[in-house]
Amino acid sequence: MKPFDFVQPTTTDAVLAALVEHSSNVRILCGGTDYVVELKYVAQSPGVVVDVSRLEDLKGIELTDAGLRIGAGVTHSEIMADPLIAEHAPAMIDAAHTVGAVQTRNLGTLGGNLVTCVPSMDSGPTLLALDAQVTILGPKGTRQIDLSKFFVGVRKTALEPDELLLEVIIPKDNLGKPAGFIKFGLRKGQALALVNAASAFWVDDGKFKDVRIALGAVAPVVMRAIKAEAHLEGQAISLELIDEAAKLSIDEAKPIDDFRASKEYRNSLIEVGARRTLQAVLDLANG
Amino acid sequence: MTDITLTVNGEERTASVPPETTLLKMLREDLNLTGTKLGCDVGDCGACTVLVDGIAVNACLMLAGQANGKKIETIEGLSTMEEYHPIQKAFEEVAALQCGFCGPGMIMSTKAMIDQGDDLSKQDIRDALSGNLCRCTGYTKIIDGVIDAYEEITGKKVPEISPRAA
Repeated sequence: MKPFDFVQPTTTDAVLAALVEHSSNVRILCGGTDYVVELKYVAQSPGVVVDVSRLEDLKGIELTDAGLRIGAGVTHSEIMADPLIAEHAPAMIDAAHTVGAVQTRNLGTLGGNLVTCVPSMDSGPTLLALDAQVTILGPKGTRQIDLSKFFVGVRKTALEPDELLLEVIIPKDNLGKPAGFIKFGLRKGQALALVNAASAFWVDDGKFKDVRIALGAVAPVVMRAIKAEAHLEGQAISLELIDEAAKLSIDEAKPIDDFRASKEYRNSLIEVGARRTLQAVLDLANG
Repeated sequence: MTDITLTVNGEERTASVPPETTLLKMLREDLNLTGTKLGCDVGDCGACTVLVDGIAVNACLMLAGQANGKKIETIEGLSTMEEYHPIQKAFEEVAALQCGFCGPGMIMSTKAMIDQGDDLSKQDIRDALSGNLCRCTGYTKIIDGVIDAYEEITGKKVPEISPRAA
């Protein structure tokens, strides 16, 4: 690794101060499962590495007036073991379980997964399907944006250089919303998603309500299949409609061809993933 | 340079290392604890697995500064010259390892899993070891060794499942 300076602030104010002080010459480190690997291969030193893995403000999972708050520094293993998440957003546990393997889930954090912003991230689809929001802290205070607006491009987020991701919030109205997640990889452990998908909807008087279909690894950022969602919205529940919506999901995605899977194969996985998660939601909704 | 103090296998150890030093490098090169192996160096193979405050992590992915002040358990802490740890004994009895390079990581992951105290199924064991790669054995004997160690240590039984379901 190229030499760098290492600081471990104990408050978010000190983190922001470090970001301002070192401006373009600074990077934030949390779990390190992605960034420490990057540090081993970068040609140029990042200058200063700010470790936020011990910041109390980034920890904790709790119910607030806004909904379910998950600190950005919460690890995937902590998500898997948390009773509030099991009760209010259990699909997040299925998603966390597919990240890396035990050792990387013990280190890697939810916030790190989002900030790294690779197309195949495993936390993204479920959170998009639950209309998650993120709270960002900057010099002017906090701002809250939809997670869908946080993802800007491959490894690019809406975070400004002087800002820190604080927390993820599942809005109150979506707590307990039936949701399903699926990941297709080449094996169970240590696999990057070929495609991952999450769906959520309420069953309201026998009709689809607030339908969300989110797809990962099929476009530069995790995305929603808006047309497929609209195909179901307000319609009477039926498996035929679910099949149609799953097929429609393909049209909105732009999967790549690479050594892990061909574009055609990924398109098939999109349809299967959308269909299976929608069916899983229906099973959940029907109890 | 950063001064790092760790409690390694119950003993306080200190070293002054450059900030870009991983926990793995500090253990191996500064503390001469070479039982923990450097494999892929990118968090895939699990050969560097150690326990930090009881939790299994890839020591190659953690900076020594992030581990500062924490309790570290490595393979060297498990046995004495006189006696193996029950996990090591079980691995030896079923010939779980061949070249042995993955062994320290496999055994530390196994220890973390058993220490957690949960009831384990064969699938739980496979899941908990999915971050530890072995190029020799095909894993069958390793899983056998873990099952024997778990049953010996906890007095519990891993539920039988049909070979097809396994």
